[in-house]
Amino acid sequence: MSFLLPCPNCGPRRVEEYSYGGEFQVRPGPEVSAGAWGHYLYGRRNAAGLQTEWWYHRLGCGRWLLAERDTLTNRVQRTYRRPSTGDPPVPLQGMKVLDWQVQP
Amino acid sequence: MTAAAFRFDGRAIPFRDGDTVATAMYRAGVRVFSRSFKYHRPRGLLCGTGRCANCLVQVGPTPNVRACTMPAEPGLEVRHQNAWPSLAMDLLAVNDSLSFLLPPGFYYKTFIRPRAFWPLYEGVLRRAAGLGRIDVGHRPEERYDKIHRHTDVLVIGGGPAGLAAALTAATVGADVILADEQDALGGHTRWERSGAGGLDDTIAQVTRHPRIECFTGAVAFGAYEGGLVPLRQGTRLIGVRCHELVVATGRHEYPLVFPDNDRPGVMLASAARRLLHQGVRPGERAVVVTTGSEGYALAAELNKAEVRVVAVVDSRPSGEGSAGLAELLGERQVRLFQGCGMVRARGRRQVTGAVVAPLDAGGRVQPAQGLDLPCDLIVLATGGTPEVALLRQSGCVFDLDEGGEPRLLETVPHVHAAGSVLGTAHVADQLLEGEATGIAAARAAGIGTPGLAERELAVRGRLAERRAGPCRSAGRPVAPLTGAAGGGGKAILCTCEDITADDVAYAVAEGFNHAELIKRYLTVSMGPCQGKMCSRVAGELCAAATARSLAAIGTTTARPPVQSVPLGVLAGRRLEPVQRTPMHQRHERAGAAWMDAGAWRRPRAYGDPAAECRAVRERVGIIDVSTLGKLDLQGRDAARLLEKVYTHRFASLPVGRVRYALAADDSGIVLDDGTVARLGPERFFVTTTTSGIGQMESWLRWWTEGTGWCAHLADVTSAYAAINLAGPRARDVLARLAAMDVSAAALPYLAAAEGLIAGIPTRLLRIGFVGELGFELHVPADYGEALWDALLEAGAEFGICPFGVEAQRILRLEKGHLIVGQDTDALSGVLDADMAWACKFDKDDFVGMPALRRVQHHGPRQRLVGFEVPGGRLPNEGDQVVDPGGRPVGRVTSVRRSPTLGRVIGLAWLPVENGLTAEEFAIRSGAGTVAATVVATPFYDPDGSRMRS
Repeated sequence: MSFLLPCPNCGPRRVEEYSYGGEFQVRPGPEVSAGAWGHYLYGRRNAAGLQTEWWYHRLGCGRWLLAERDTLTNRVQRTYRRPSTGDPPVPLQGMKVLDWQVQP
Repeated sequence: MTAAAFRFDGRAIPFRDGDTVATAMYRAGVRVFSRSFKYHRPRGLLCGTGRCANCLVQVGPTPNVRACTMPAEPGLEVRHQNAWPSLAMDLLAVNDSLSFLLPPGFYYKTFIRPRAFWPLYEGVLRRAAGLGRIDVGHRPEERYDKIHRHTDVLVIGGGPAGLAAALTAATVGADVILADEQDALGGHTRWERSGAGGLDDTIAQVTRHPRIECFTGAVAFGAYEGGLVPLRQGTRLIGVRCHELVVATGRHEYPLVFPDNDRPGVMLASAARRLLHQGVRPGERAVVVTTGSEGYALAAELNKAEVRVVAVVDSRPSGEGSAGLAELLGERQVRLFQGCGMVRARGRRQVTGAVVAPLDAGGRVQPAQGLDLPCDLIVLATGGTPEVALLRQSGCVFDLDEGGEPRLLETVPHVHAAGSVLGTAHVADQLLEGEATGIAAARAAGIGTPGLAERELAVRGRLAERRAGPCRSAGRPVAPLTGAAGGGGKAILCTCEDITADDVAYAVAEGFNHAELIKRYLTVSMGPCQGKMCSRVAGELCAAATARSLAAIGTTTARPPVQSVPLGVLAGRRLEPVQRTPMHQRHERAGAAWMDAGAWRRPRAYGDPAAECRAVRERVGIIDVSTLGKLDLQGRDAARLLEKVYTHRFASLPVGRVRYALAADDSGIVLDDGTVARLGPERFFVTTTTSGIGQMESWLRWWTEGTGWCAHLADVTSAYAAINLAGPRARDVLARLAAMDVSAAALPYLAAAEGLIAGIPTRLLRIGFVGELGFELHVPADYGEALWDALLEAGAEFGICPFGVEAQRILRLEKGHLIVGQDTDALSGVLDADMAWACKFDKDDFVGMPALRRVQHHGPRQRLVGFEVPGGRLPNEGDQVVDPGGRPVGRVTSVRRSPTLGRVIGLAWLPVENGLTAEEFAIRSGAGTVAATVVATPFYDPDGSRMRS
């Protein structure tokens, strides 16, 4: 794993500068059913393909960002900060990414 | 000049400038360097380029050094590998005769019964097979270094195509890195009389160009994601991130397969050329075997070096395209065998002859018509294969033509290729192709000089024109000859692991009929050469044995590393960073015994931890707690963030107060704990555990993300030194130093204040982790030593004593305070740890609340309880709690002999059954069990009057 991830603040950086934060999902309200809460805690799409996920720029600006990454090729389509609505993310300024990949 | 020497097996080997270990040994008459992996066959120089594993030797403590690329240096201690008792007299060579007992996969088939004997078998096998010896006591002196480069264009290969590509890309404005595995630029032309010197001007331009950085002696051993190509240059790793990658890696030769083709004296043209280059005669009487015009040029060079060329054996029926040379050689009494190939080599420790015979129409040798030619050198100029590993790793797709030659079908973005790796043969064509590729790479890297596209097109046009003319003769392939077909002897397919051509037939007969299966069953291509010498022939043999096409046999997946890489190069320097607190020197002077806490070094104790405990309980003590994580949190919504992330209530926390803070995740598991002090309406000072700071910083940030809240966070851990002053006389000590009122009325339990202590601006938190009247004092890091000294001086009359982490752990255990990460793990729920008191379920929401509500409803399944051991025996932390049947049901997380209480006390996880935990339980400790009794915590000062005082 050595792909580049473009930080909306810092620009393209190697993935080792980041911590992975898992799939993006919306936290349900505290009053939902046990089943829905369990799904939020433990259910994962685990997509073989494009996935929206959290990354933390640990060795950079110290900010969280969302990345749309293809889990099969590690190609990152775009990254952006989570918009301040609490709703599912709408891309702000997406960053274009080098389409480098290697043989899976 | 020749005074310099190294030693080989104790014998002095003189060497000259430019010599490698191999060329010097060859000049000194050494032909056998080591013995082979399985059959202990004598092995010497084969490829001369660092690709095969034939010349592996031990250099000092380092095994498996390729003699052919290791520069000769004075004083090297070179030794042979894998022979016993000596290189000349290797008793284990008996394996060669017993090989019928050692078929492929024999260690899974032969040495398996009785099972109990396997350790014995394994010992014998490991001793017999091998690649050098590792001295486990050796501590390498080499400094392994890593450097990083970012560039527009990375060119791998310093031959004609690579040089042209690098120079062109740089000229049009790109930043370029050029890497070549050889110690000088020029590629294959360095070794060919015809091409030598022709590139000098280009090389000079490349090395002088301000936008080109050259790395020679640097092997690009893999192509990774994101344009990362690591280069290994000796003990240094150069991590190159490139925008565009140009692969101009050229071709390498591989040996022809026929019986005894591994005898020392059988070598590839590349090895012969390198010996000639160093002024070493590769032999007295040579047979040159070729499949094209290449062998004639080499024969002429050998002739010139006064090597008597006995014969040129050409697989082609007539020497097309090299008639002039063939005639010339005829005049020099070189016998010419056209349409012929090798039947076998003669000789054991060294070649003594070659048997040649005509080929049939299919390129198969007819051994019956063999003719003996005495010689001591057989040079194989039988062609090579393109070095496509980096391209395939990058995702480029290849197929194989009828001759087994890889053809590039599809490239991927940012990856380019040029030169003989694509089959481009002539130097002039390689230069043109390099130029076009250099422009293409620069354009792809974003160089937008006008006219570049047109220029690239024009160069490609000239290249196409030239190629329309006469092309190089393709050569005539020769089918590999197995030992069985060749009348005995081992036809070695893979010299790394001693796999013979007959083994492939054996594997096919057992049903392994694809390149990937052959690889896994025979381990062919898994040795140090990584298939460079054997992959193509293995495919041919498999295709022949299964009567299928080469395409159907397939190729194996290309994976890094392309060349062997020492682990030290990947690991880099042995760096173990240590964090020291501002008062480190004071602890050192006080004779502290150290312990590691994460990256921090902390005083474990200054003397007897029990005495330190008593000092705190009876008088007063200080401990350096600078390692605590510290966060400065400010903003209109700071309180809101704390409400959300911590279980307690913080919106109502008054300015000037501090509160215990516990964080859980959304499944209700304990994440971290610490304190939150409110310094102003929108200003908080948050402490975390020593190791929890990074996690909590990112956790708090994550919960702010997308909320639009105004809450700003800064990690100020190293900005502050912190000291905990604790004990019944703590206030007396502080009063002597404070320019403020520190009385119980002014500064009650859980007060937070700022003021001057010993003239130092100090943040005071009245908290008591160790269970006594205590003040946590935070000062700017530079004042840490001054405050430490002032406290010790002011406390002297009260009997103050510094205490270490061990005493602190005992004291907090007496209070029943848990340590996150020691008493909790990733399965420890907040309510299981009996922390309901720290949770405010009447808040709208906090992280973990929905899960904890459910635990409240169902009750926890385990509980952290305090216990005593009435017998006084001390179990270990981590010991299991067992049920009457002896099954583990829980564990001990903390246990100490309490100097204050005179009893063994601890914390342990117990299962909850029917809402209850056991009153008494058993701990398996060592060989026996210890009976323990559950006790309510705190063990000491249950009503907390001491720390509130």
